[in-house]
Amino acid sequence: MSGWNPRNIRNFSIIAHIDHGKSTLADRFIEHCGALERREMQAQVLDSMDIERERGITIKAQSVALDYRARDSQVYRLNMIDTPGHVDFSYEVSRSLTACEGALLVVDASQGVQAQTVANCYTASELNLEILPVLNKIDLPAADADRVISEIEDIIGIPAHDAVRASAKTGVGIADILESIVQRIPAPKGDTGAPLKALIIDSWFDNYLGTVSLVRVIDGVLRPKEKVRLMATGRDYQVDEIGVFTPKRRPVDELAVGEVGYVIAGIKDVRSARVGDTITHTNRPAEKPLPGFKEIKPRVFAGLYPVDAQDYESFRDALGKLQLNDASLHFEPETSQALGFGFRCGFLGMLHMEIIQERLEREYGLNLITTAPTVIYEVVTTKGEILQIENPAKLPEAAAIEEFREPIIRATILVPQDYVGDVIGLCVEKRGIQRNMIYHGRQAIITYELPLNEVVLDFFDRLKSVSRGYASLDYDFLEFRTTDLVKLDVLINGDKVDALSIIVHRDQAQYRGRELAAKLRELIPRQMYDVAIQAAIGSKVIARETVKALRKNVTAKCYGGDITRKRKLLERQKEGKKRMKQFGSVEIPQEAFLAVLRVDGK
Amino acid sequence: MFRFSSLPPLSLYVHLPWCVRKCPYCDFNSHALRDELPQNEYVAALLRDLEHDLPRVWGRTVHSVFLGGGTPSLFDPEHIDRLLSGIRARLPLAPLAEITLEANPGTAELERFRAFREAGVNRLSIGIQSFDDAKLSALGRIHGSTEALKAARAARDAGFDNFNLDLMFGLPGQTLSQALSDINTAIGAAPTHLSVYQLTIEPNTRFASNPPANLPGDDTLWDMQQAIQRLLAASGYHQYEVSAYAQPGRECSHNLNYWRFGDYLGIGAGAHAKLTDPSGIARQWKQKHPAAYLAAAGTKDAIGGESRLTRNQAVGEFMMNALRLTTGFDKSLFDERTGLPIGQIVSQLEIAQSRGLIEEDVVHLRPTSLGQRYLNDLVPLFL
Repeated sequence: MSGWNPRNIRNFSIIAHIDHGKSTLADRFIEHCGALERREMQAQVLDSMDIERERGITIKAQSVALDYRARDSQVYRLNMIDTPGHVDFSYEVSRSLTACEGALLVVDASQGVQAQTVANCYTASELNLEILPVLNKIDLPAADADRVISEIEDIIGIPAHDAVRASAKTGVGIADILESIVQRIPAPKGDTGAPLKALIIDSWFDNYLGTVSLVRVIDGVLRPKEKVRLMATGRDYQVDEIGVFTPKRRPVDELAVGEVGYVIAGIKDVRSARVGDTITHTNRPAEKPLPGFKEIKPRVFAGLYPVDAQDYESFRDALGKLQLNDASLHFEPETSQALGFGFRCGFLGMLHMEIIQERLEREYGLNLITTAPTVIYEVVTTKGEILQIENPAKLPEAAAIEEFREPIIRATILVPQDYVGDVIGLCVEKRGIQRNMIYHGRQAIITYELPLNEVVLDFFDRLKSVSRGYASLDYDFLEFRTTDLVKLDVLINGDKVDALSIIVHRDQAQYRGRELAAKLRELIPRQMYDVAIQAAIGSKVIARETVKALRKNVTAKCYGGDITRKRKLLERQKEGKKRMKQFGSVEIPQEAFLAVLRVDGK
Repeated sequence: MFRFSSLPPLSLYVHLPWCVRKCPYCDFNSHALRDELPQNEYVAALLRDLEHDLPRVWGRTVHSVFLGGGTPSLFDPEHIDRLLSGIRARLPLAPLAEITLEANPGTAELERFRAFREAGVNRLSIGIQSFDDAKLSALGRIHGSTEALKAARAARDAGFDNFNLDLMFGLPGQTLSQALSDINTAIGAAPTHLSVYQLTIEPNTRFASNPPANLPGDDTLWDMQQAIQRLLAASGYHQYEVSAYAQPGRECSHNLNYWRFGDYLGIGAGAHAKLTDPSGIARQWKQKHPAAYLAAAGTKDAIGGESRLTRNQAVGEFMMNALRLTTGFDKSLFDERTGLPIGQIVSQLEIAQSRGLIEEDVVHLRPTSLGQRYLNDLVPLFL
C-alpha cells in the first residue's frame, strides 16, 4: 500500500536533550496510533541498540511511519524521524532535520533548556522548520512550566506560550501534540513529475539485508526494481526493496514526494550510501544533488590495543564489523613499542569513542587498552610540507617543525548564571578565547573558541563538575590555528613510552608534565625494583618521580591446609597482572595509559 | 599423565579446633570455647575419622604427627594419651617419628607438659608471639610476658629436648629494638627451633576489618627481618624456610614434609589431606565446623570436599612449597613428587634465572637471596 497525498503527510523530528524524555514520548505516539500492540512494546522502541537504551541516547537515526486519524477525521501519515542526541553527531542531526518540515522541541519542564537543544533548534530554524515546543514531565513536582516557557522564548527565540504541556510517562497531552503536528507543521512540497531526488538520512548494515538506507523523497517517485544512482559516488544499483517502518519493516510499491522510507539496493557497505547523499534514477538523473552533503571526518583519535596480543585478529574482525554499520569509524594498524600491535582509530568525538570502546569490550569480549585521545594536528615542516598528525609518536623532530597548527572549535555553553564565573575560569584554563556572552534571565550563553585537544582531555567532566551538572555544551569545528605546541614524553626507567606521549601547549607543558608524572607514580604498583618516571620535552626532563621498590614480597606462612587457598590467591594476583603491560622489567597497569586524561586542574 | 616412581613420605595432621578465645589476626579454623571442651567425644571422633581414612593409606608408614589447632594443649594429657595410643594402634609409626603438640602459654605448664611427654609427644611448639605485655594485649593474646617466659622454660624443664617457640614481628607500634629484644629473650630459653612470622593481616579476620594502628612501615619491617636473620644466625639458628629457623638437625620434619610436597593425612575439623596415588594427586578436607564434624566423623559425610590437582596445579603447588626452602631442592624431587618431568618448566626456570631469582646446577635448584626476598614474584612464574 502506498500513494499518500503529500497534503496528508507530516514529517517531523524530535529535538530533546538526553533524558528529557524523547524516546518515551515516541513510544506514546506509536501506542496512540496503534502501530504496535501493547505487548509488542519493548520500552523505548526507537533506541534499539543496547548501549543506546542503557545510556538513554540515540546513536543511529531511525524512523517510524504512523497513521493518525486527526480530529478532522482524515488519516495522516506522520513520519517521525529520530535524531541522534549528542554533540558528536551534529552532521547526522542536520541531515535528519533536512528531511523534515517541522520539529518538536521537547524540554523537560523541571530542568529547562540545554545547550544541545539550543544548537539543534538553531539548525532547525536555519532549515526553516516549524518548531513546536512541548513541555514534558509536567507531572513532576519540580516542573516549572512558566519559567521554562520564558526560557524557550528568551534563549531560542520562538513563541512558547501555547506549548503543549505533556507527560510521556502518564500520557497527558499526547493527543494534543499529535493534533498540533497535523495543524501546524506544513505538508511536504515537491514535484512528482521531476527526476527523482531522495535524501539519505541514515544507512546501516543488516546481516541479512545488506545496507539499508533511510531516505526522504524530495522529488519524483521511487519504485522497486528500478536502477538508481548515488550521486556522491556516481555508482549505480538495482533497488531490491523499498518500504516503511511502522516500526516493523513493511515493503511498499512506491515512495513518492514527501514520503520517508527505506531502500535496499544490494549496496555492500555503509560507506557507499553515505548520510546526506542523493539517490536519483540512472536513466533520468537529477541535474544537481541535494545541497549539504559533507564527508564526515573523524576529529578524535586514539590507539586501541588488545591486552592479550593473541586477540589482535579478532580485534581487527570486530572493528571491521562495527565499521560495516558506522561510516564514521576509521581505523588503521599501528604498532607501539609499549603496547605492541593495535589500531589507531578515528572517532567523531568523545562519546563516539566511548561507545565504540564499550561495544568492542561488551559485544566482542575484547580486553583493550586505549591510549589518551588526541586530535589531528597540522604540521608545516621546514621543507614546506604540510603533515596531518594524528598520533603524537609520528611527530617530526622539533627542529624540523616550522609551524604547528591545532584544531579550534567554537563551543556554545549554556549555564545558569551562578556558575558563569567557574565556567569562564575553566575555559581560560583550557586556553579558550571568549567570543560572546548573552544573559537570558538566569541563563547565560557563552561562546568560546577552544582548542579541541583541550576539550577531548577532560573538558566535559570538568564542565559538569564546575557547574554541578547544569552546564551544557555544543560545539562545531572552526579552523586549524597556529599555536606554540610541544610534545611531552614520558620515560619509564629511561625508556620513552610512546603510548604516553601527548602534545600540549608550551605554557602548560611544565604543569602537565608534573601532574602526569605524579599520577603515574600513584598508578604504577610497587615492584621488585625502583621505577623512575620522567616527563620530558625533547631531551629536557621537566618532572621526575620514583615508585619505590617493594622491600620484599613473600608470604610469611604456608602449611598443609592453606596451600590451595594461597595458590588461588597468587593465581588471582597473576590474573590481575595480565591486565598490565610488561615494559622492560616494569609492569604498567592499563589505567596508566589513561592517566593523561585524568590530570585534574587545580 | 602423571608418573610416580614411588610414593612420597606420609605425615599425619590432627586438628583440635578450640581456643579460649579467637585472636584477631588468626585465620585458622579455630573456635572460641563456649561450653566445656568435649574431649572424650572429640578424641573418639578423631579415631573414627582416622579409621575411615585408613584404606587410603594402607600399609604406609607415618613419619610425623602434628597436633595443631586451635589450642591442642587445652586437651588434658590423658585425652592426648588416648589419642596417640589410638593412632599408634591404627597406623604404623616410624620408630623415631616426630610427634609435635601445639601449646599456648597458660597456667600450670610444667606438670601438664610432663604429662604430654609421657603420652608420647616428643616435640612442643609454643605460641609465644611476644614477650612484651603491651604487644601481647594488642594481639589479643590471653597470656602475658610472665606466662610466656614460664611456658618457654617449662618446656625444657619438662624434659623436652626439642621444642619450638612461635614469635611474631612487625607488631603494632613495634620498634626494631623491641623486635630484637623478643628474639633475644626467646634465644635465652634455648629452644631448638624458632618460627618467626611477620604479622600479616589476613582477609576475614578481625584485624582485616579493623586494622591495628601504627603498624611498622615497609622499611622498618625489612630492617627487622634482616636484623632477626643476623641475630639468629649468630646464635646458631639457621634459616631453612621463609619463617623457620633451627639448630642443626632440628628442622621440623612435619613441616619439611609439606614443603617438600610430601603426603599427609588430615583428621579433625577442617583438616586437609594431600595424597598421591598412581593416577595423580588428591586433596581432601574435612567438615570445618566442629559440631558438624563431631556428628559426621567416621562416615563419608565428614568429608567437606575434595579435588584432584591438574598438572599445572601440581607444578604450581610444588614450586610454591619447595621454593620456600632456602636450600631449594634436588631436581629429581620435582619428578618424584609431581609425577611430571622437570623439563616442562624449563622456559619458566630460564626466566627466573635471568631475573636472578633462582640458581641451579645439574642436580639442584634453589632460590637466590633475591628469590627468597621476592618469592611472590618468583612463584607465579610457575602458576
